[in-house]
This record gives sequence, C-alpha cells and structure tokens, in this order.
Amino acid sequence: MGRVSDYSFINAKLRARIGIMHDPKLVDEMIKAPTLTEAVAKLDGTRHQRLSEVYRSTGDLQQVELCLFEDEIANYREVMGYLPSVPSSFVSTLLEKVEIENIKNAIRLWYSANIMHHSISYRSAYIYKKLIVHHIDYDAIINAGTYPELINAFHDTPYSKVLASFTLDGLASGGLFPLEIALDHEWFRRLETAIGTLGSKDRKIASSIYSVDVDLKNILMLTRYSYSYHLDPQQLASVVIPMGYIAKEAEKRKAAESEDPIAVIKEIVAFRYPQILEEINLIRRTSDDLTTVEENNREIVRIEEYLGERRKKEYNRILTGNPFTIGVVLSYFFICASEDSVIRAILSGKYYRWSEDKIRERLGL
Amino acid sequence: MSMFTRKMRMLTAVVLEKDRDNVVKALLEKGVMEFVHIDSLPSEKMHKLSAHSSEVPKAVISDMRVRVETLMKEGGIRIPDLDKKDMDDLKPLDIDSYRRALDRLTLSLQSVRDNQKTINQNINAISEIIRYAEEKSNDYLDLRVGINTHGKGEDLLGRLKMVGGIFMFSEKPYISLTLRRDSQRVTDAMDKFGWTETTDQDEQRSALGRAVSEGKRLIASLTEDLQKLSDEAAEKIRASASELSFMWITLRIHELCEHVESFFSYTKNTTLFSGWVPETDSENVGEIIYSVTGGKCIIEWTEADEMPRDEVPVEMTSPKIFKPFERMVQNYSTPEYGSINPTPFTAIAYLCMFALMFADLGQGFILLLVGIIGSAMYKKNPMKKDGIISRYLCNLLLYLGPASMVGGLLFGSCFGFSIFPALWFNFDAVVEGEEVGGLIQDIYDILGITIKFGIVIIFLGLLLNWINLIRKRRFSELVFDKNGLVGGVLYALGIWFAWGFVRSGYKTFPSSWFMAPVLITALVLIFLKEPVEFIIAKKKGEKTGGIGHLAMSTIMEFLVEVLEIFSSFLSNTLSFMRVAGLGIAHASLMSAFYDMADMPGNIIAKILIMILGNVLVIVLEGLSAGIQSLRLNYYEFFTKYFTGHGIAFRPVGLKSRTVSD
Repeated sequence: MGRVSDYSFINAKLRARIGIMHDPKLVDEMIKAPTLTEAVAKLDGTRHQRLSEVYRSTGDLQQVELCLFEDEIANYREVMGYLPSVPSSFVSTLLEKVEIENIKNAIRLWYSANIMHHSISYRSAYIYKKLIVHHIDYDAIINAGTYPELINAFHDTPYSKVLASFTLDGLASGGLFPLEIALDHEWFRRLETAIGTLGSKDRKIASSIYSVDVDLKNILMLTRYSYSYHLDPQQLASVVIPMGYIAKEAEKRKAAESEDPIAVIKEIVAFRYPQILEEINLIRRTSDDLTTVEENNREIVRIEEYLGERRKKEYNRILTGNPFTIGVVLSYFFICASEDSVIRAILSGKYYRWSEDKIRERLGL
Repeated sequence: MSMFTRKMRMLTAVVLEKDRDNVVKALLEKGVMEFVHIDSLPSEKMHKLSAHSSEVPKAVISDMRVRVETLMKEGGIRIPDLDKKDMDDLKPLDIDSYRRALDRLTLSLQSVRDNQKTINQNINAISEIIRYAEEKSNDYLDLRVGINTHGKGEDLLGRLKMVGGIFMFSEKPYISLTLRRDSQRVTDAMDKFGWTETTDQDEQRSALGRAVSEGKRLIASLTEDLQKLSDEAAEKIRASASELSFMWITLRIHELCEHVESFFSYTKNTTLFSGWVPETDSENVGEIIYSVTGGKCIIEWTEADEMPRDEVPVEMTSPKIFKPFERMVQNYSTPEYGSINPTPFTAIAYLCMFALMFADLGQGFILLLVGIIGSAMYKKNPMKKDGIISRYLCNLLLYLGPASMVGGLLFGSCFGFSIFPALWFNFDAVVEGEEVGGLIQDIYDILGITIKFGIVIIFLGLLLNWINLIRKRRFSELVFDKNGLVGGVLYALGIWFAWGFVRSGYKTFPSSWFMAPVLITALVLIFLKEPVEFIIAKKKGEKTGGIGHLAMSTIMEFLVEVLEIFSSFLSNTLSFMRVAGLGIAHASLMSAFYDMADMPGNIIAKILIMILGNVLVIVLEGLSAGIQSLRLNYYEFFTKYFTGHGIAFRPVGLKSRTVSD
C-alpha cells in the first residue's frame, strides 16, 4: 500500500506528460525549417513555448539554452516535491549531475579568464547562478583571482574536496579534463550511495539502469581517450568511472596493475557486452580504407547508438511494468533529457547553418 | 437530421484528361467527397492505369505552406479562409519565387535577431556589474576615476568599450566601472593614455553610485531598443502580410489539388477516380461533374449496402444544437455505418445527469455566464489560443449552465440557499434530514431515483442496440447476445425481482408463475448461442471447429455470459448511484460552507466565506459532475449499443484543415 500511495500521483502525472511529449512532427518541422528563427517559432504551442518567447525578445540562442536549463532544474524540483523523502533525495542526487554540468561551465569560464586570459565579458550571464542542490557561489567561481578563492566558492559542498585535490599549476598544464572527470566520478560515487538508500524494488531498477549506463560510458571513454587523447594505460584506468560491472570486474582482476589494462578490460567487455565488441570488430573488418581516427569515431557513434537503444528499451520496459516504482520517474527524466537534447542540437545546428541531413545524422535519425 | 448515420454512395467516374483540373476544382469547392484509391480493379486492367505524377511534389508544396504558415503566425497574421473566389483567381505555382521571397524575409528577420542578440549581450554585461555593485560585491569590481594625460578621451573610451563596462566620459574626471577580472586589459588600455587617478575623495566616493545610475539608464535604453527590434521583426512580417496570404492561398489550393489528384489513376486520355459522397449530395456531385466536363464523362454509383459495412465512411448529422455532444461521441469512437447516431441521446442523458449532480440555480447561472463570456472572448479573438477554459468547454457550459439551473429550480437551491420553493422536492433539506412532505423522504429515496434513472438509461441503450442489430440484420446476436433480447429479458426479470424484495422491506423475495419459465428459457437461449452460431457458420461455409470444440466453447461461453449478464447489469445499474452521491456531496459541501459562514458572526466574513465556498464548489463539483456524467455515458450507456467500429467521413474541400493520404 505504501508504494502505491508513494507513487500513484506522480505516476499518473508523469505518464500524462509523457503522453504528450516527444512529437516526431515537431522535430521534423524544426529540422526542415530553413532558418533558426523559423525553427524556434515551431516551439510555439508546445511545452517549450517559453523558449520561443525568449528568443523572440532577445534573439540570443544562449539565453534560450539557459532558459531550457532552468526548465530542466524546475522539472526535477517539481518531481521531488511529489515524492516521499527517500526517492526525493535520490532525485536530488540526480539533480546534482545537472549541478555538476553547471559547475563545469562556470569553471570553464574561470579557466578562460584566468589561465587563458580571454575576455569572458557577457558570457557569465549564461551561467545559472541560483541554488540547484548545494550552496555554490557561482559569482565567486567566475571572479576568483586565485585557486584558493575558487575552492572557497565550493565551501561546505561535496565538490570542495575534489577541487582541493588539484592545483592551479596542474590545471594550467593538464587542462580541465582531469578535474571534470573527477567531478563526474564524485557524482557517480554519490549516486551509488543514493541508490543504496532506496527501497528494494527501486534499488533494483535504479541499479540495473545505472550500472549498464556506467558500463557503456566507460567503454565509450576508453574508446575515445585511448585514441583521441592518447592516454597511457594508467591514465586510462583513472578515467574509468568507479561503478558498474566493468569497473568492479577490472578492480577484481587488478587491471590497472597488469601490463596491458586495456586488454583486460576488453576481455571483460567481450564477456558482458559481446554485441558491442562484435560491432566494433565488424567496423574494423569492413573498414580497411578507414584511418584509425575514423574507425574510432565510428566506434564511438556505434556505442552511443547502442547506449541510446539500450536505454530506450529499458525505459520502455519500465513504463510497461510496475507503475509504482522510481522507474517511471527515471523514464520521465530520460525522455525529458532526450527531448531537450534534440531541441538543443537542432537549434544549435540551425545557428551554425548545418544542412538538414547533417542535423539528422547528428541526431541519429 | 437523421436518427441514423448519414447514407453514403460511392462514386466512380471517368473523365477526359483535359477536364481533370476543372473537375478537381469543382469537387474541392463542393467539399463533400472523400476520395479512395482505386485498387480493386482486376490486375490485368490495373497495369494499364498509371498513378498521378506531379510537377511539384506534394511534400514540397506542404513544406512551403507550413513555412509560410509559421511566418504568418509569428507576425500574428490570420490564416485566411479559402473560398470560391480564391479558386477562380488561382495562379500557377512559382515555388522558386516564393522561396526567394521567404528567404528574403527570414534573412531580414535573422538580421534583426542578430542585432537583438548584441543588445542582449550588452544588457547582460552591464547587469552583472550593477548586480555586484548592489550586492556590495566590490571585490569583483574595478572602479577608476581619473583623467588621461595624453591621447584623446574618446579613443580611450573606444578601447575600454571593447573590454566592456560602464563608462562616463562626458565630463572630467572620467569614470570607468568594469569587472575586476578584466582589470589587466583595462590597465593596459589606460596606461597607453597615461591614466591618472583623481585625488578628489568626493569624486571617488560618489563615482560608484553615479556609474550604477548610468548603467541603469543604459539598461533601460537598451531594453527599449530590444523591444523596438522585437516589434520591428513582427512589423517586417506584417508588412508582407498580403504577399504571405497570397502565397498561402496559392500553396494551399495546389496542395489540396495535389492531394485529390494523388487518388486519381490515368489511362492515356482519361482520368479515373472514386470516392464516397453522402447520398443527399450525390445527385448534385454528379451534376457538377457532368457540367464541368460538358457531359463527356461516365459516372457510376455504388450503394453502400453493396460494400462491406466497415469500409463505408460514417458521418453523423446532428442538429447544430447538439454539436458539442457530437464531439463527445467522436472522442469515444465513430459509430458503425448505418447505426443509430448516439449524439441526441448522449446530449439528453449527459444534461440530465449533470442537472441531477449539480443542481443549483445560482451556480448554474455562473456557469452560463462563464460560457457566454468565454465564447464571446474567443469569438472576438479568433487567434487566441485555448486556455484552461477552452473554446469547447465554453460551448459546453452554455448547455450545462441552463441544465444546472433547471436542476436548481426542481430542487429549490440557489447558491446553496433554499430561497424559493422546489418544483419537485427540496434536495438540501432531504440531505440534511429535515422533514419534507411528498414521496421523497430521505437519502435512500434519492438513491432510488438515480437507480431508476439508470435503469431507464440502460434499457434505452439496449433498445438502441436492438434497433441497430435489426438494421444490420444480425438476428442471432439480437436474440442471444447479452445486450440482445435475452439480456434485456434477464435484466427486466432482475429488476422485477429486486423491486419486489425492496417493496417487502428487504424481507422476502418475490415469486410468480412466470419467473421460473422466463429464467429457464433465457438460460437455455444463452446456452444455445454457440450451437446456433456454429450451425449458421457451417451453412455459410465458414471454417468451424469440431464437435469437441463446440461442446467446450458452449459450456465456457454459457458460464461467462451468464456471469457477465448478472455482474455487469448489476454493476452498471448501481453505478448510477454516483449521480445521487455527487448530488448529496454538492448539497453537503454547500451546507458545510453555510455553517462555516455563520461562525465568525461578521456579515463581511460570511459573504466572503460563501463566495469562496461557491467558487470552490463550482470548480470542483462542476468538474466532478462533468467527468462522472461522461463516464456514465461512456461506460454504462455506450457499452450497450455503441460498437465504435466505424471510420469517420473526411471529405476534402477548401475548408479542410488537414489532409492526409
């Protein structure tokens, strides 16, 4: 009875919303619109009407993106308000991922101003500065003159420790990538803890979704960084998100200490996700004329597609299953995020005057 | 108006190729034909026909029309209604020139948007500085007050503007308020002009406030510019209103023609097409084709009876007064061709249910007022988007309001007060347990009324089903089905039985000579349903199972049918108690607010509480009553006679809003 009363209202509410979301006609018409102005106008009369109003009054796509980001946060907050404390706090952890993306954007601006000595002028306005989950002083981040000032902006937040483990010199020489990875890892650690607090059914659903998600992200990172960034095996091992089957298995087999960690991880992937490895091998066999970079890009695209398909299947399965679980909430966020990213990609494509075909290709349509 | 769905005929015509365009235009103007693809000709004849090929693909025309439509909406230009004159004045399509014109317009719009963007970025930059100043975050600011010792002030200003900030260079000493993070660039620029800070403490102290005021003035001016540009964009579109309307009309008519022609087939010199036309319009359509082609055509009519029923499109012809209820029926499904039009019955049943659940003269009047005002507002602003109280709801309120008022008169209720004598009985008094004369004494009597009302509705549903089955010549279903005669008889027997039990004061069950024979005959008939259908199927040569299968299905079907008849009729009938339930809840809520209003002992508070109570009751109870009435119609009434297997008739004409293949 508890589960029913916990989830009945939010289940009905979110399902009703899902029913009217993801209109393929809207996406098609936006892609077909010859200009950005016309593409944005298509959002009139949809749940994203505010975006077209913002664009009409400012002509500024970045302002529209900030508006979309605000809506995303408001969406999480609204759902949290309808949930009991434990699942609500889990959703709050999910919202932390949004917060981390915002932090990364703010730190990039700081990096641009302080390390690269570029003018960031008006760009600070596109950073969301209100409270997301933790009290972070975004103005202090952007205006920090020294690294301790930057760390101080995160005072009393879980990110402070992560920031403190880096130095200004290290960031100046190695770039922001390690810091961003560390922030992501911190979130995944917190996510794992949050999943552990959920009730048994919710825990099972959340674990199954996120462990596969993390596994595929790890595969993606290993593929991407072993070629594009030429990281050595030890550096690669540090990139792996410490969650999911692959990471746990790699730790068990002590992959990082082995002579060829990538080979060990490949073995693990082959065992758990044979389909991905088959596809990668197929790409390599049929692409004699491809360079390594092209092969790598195709592999990344294929893994991303596989990840997308797998997520879609998983969420569809959840939607047709027991309605009184956290699954409906996760599916809803997934659909919202997919829709938002499609809209973002189309608008950005229109801004850069990409062809219809190129936009469709990017969206995997 | 016909009690049944509109009779249809299928037209198949052959016209000369040269007359094709005129025929298409004439049929579009008439707008009463739903075209079908010709695919039932023998294959040896089919290959002699060729499909329609167009100079400009329909998808291109549609995309272009959508593009024009988007721009018109962006500029607040009304989408025109097509008429005969537009058809007569139709110009050939010039897609390239339309594209050029649209590109020109969107390019100029884009340049306005780019200007808007630049201004917005300036506003953002200045706003950040002002915010820091107001939040006293002076650590993030870089304020300088001084003069340049060499070079020109305006040159320095030009340099500083590239960094971004608030600058006051109209009088000396100059003020520069920028962000601390840009201080290196500011210093570099100032050093080149020999900047010297003023030693005047008063100037230094007042500089920040003056700079902030200047920043605010700048923002106000930039915001005004932004608004002007926004208006300019809309104005640019409106300036092209006539051109856009012309393009839209031309594209839309060509799109419709292409749509119609996509159903056509061709031989070398002739065009062949086919489609459904309401019987009442068929003669007229035939005359139109004859007249347009000068008699050089062949027209054949196929009656709907000769076609499978599920292929014939269905149109309901309800009087205008019932139109809002027709939509209610369509939301459920489309009735089968040739069956009874459910709209008038739905309208009457819905209004009766609503009146019983939401009986209040005053609140009904409010609903009517909302309906009238809402409808007038939407009529005045045809472009206005539907709000929570949509156009449809406004129309519906024009009916629900008076229904509620009639209910209020019958039960003597006005805003929850009994200020006039009830025409039937005082509902509120009965609910409150007061002594009232007449037949209705307590809540149980009210529940009894709604159960009787439910019985009437269910029997009406059964009767309509029997008429439908007779018209469809499904006699076996008429006799044996649970919603057929046998179901009706068992239901009547059940009512008689329950009635007798209630009349005895819930003490004894009634008995009579006819009870056992009627019950046994009905059960035998239900038992015979499967064997009879088996024999009929055998006679028609349809595939049937063996005897074992028949025996098994007879027993299973009998058990399920009997169980379903008893449970579904009982639950359907008792379901109507919700009508009384909602009515009682309505009266109780009003009574509760009435008591609450007396508590403060202050006339103003009393009025306010009564107003608030009435608003809450109108919104919540009105919504509940509306939903429950709909539910009773859909689940208790429609399930008795409404199969919903029909396909809606969608003629193509100039007024068509959408077209699809």
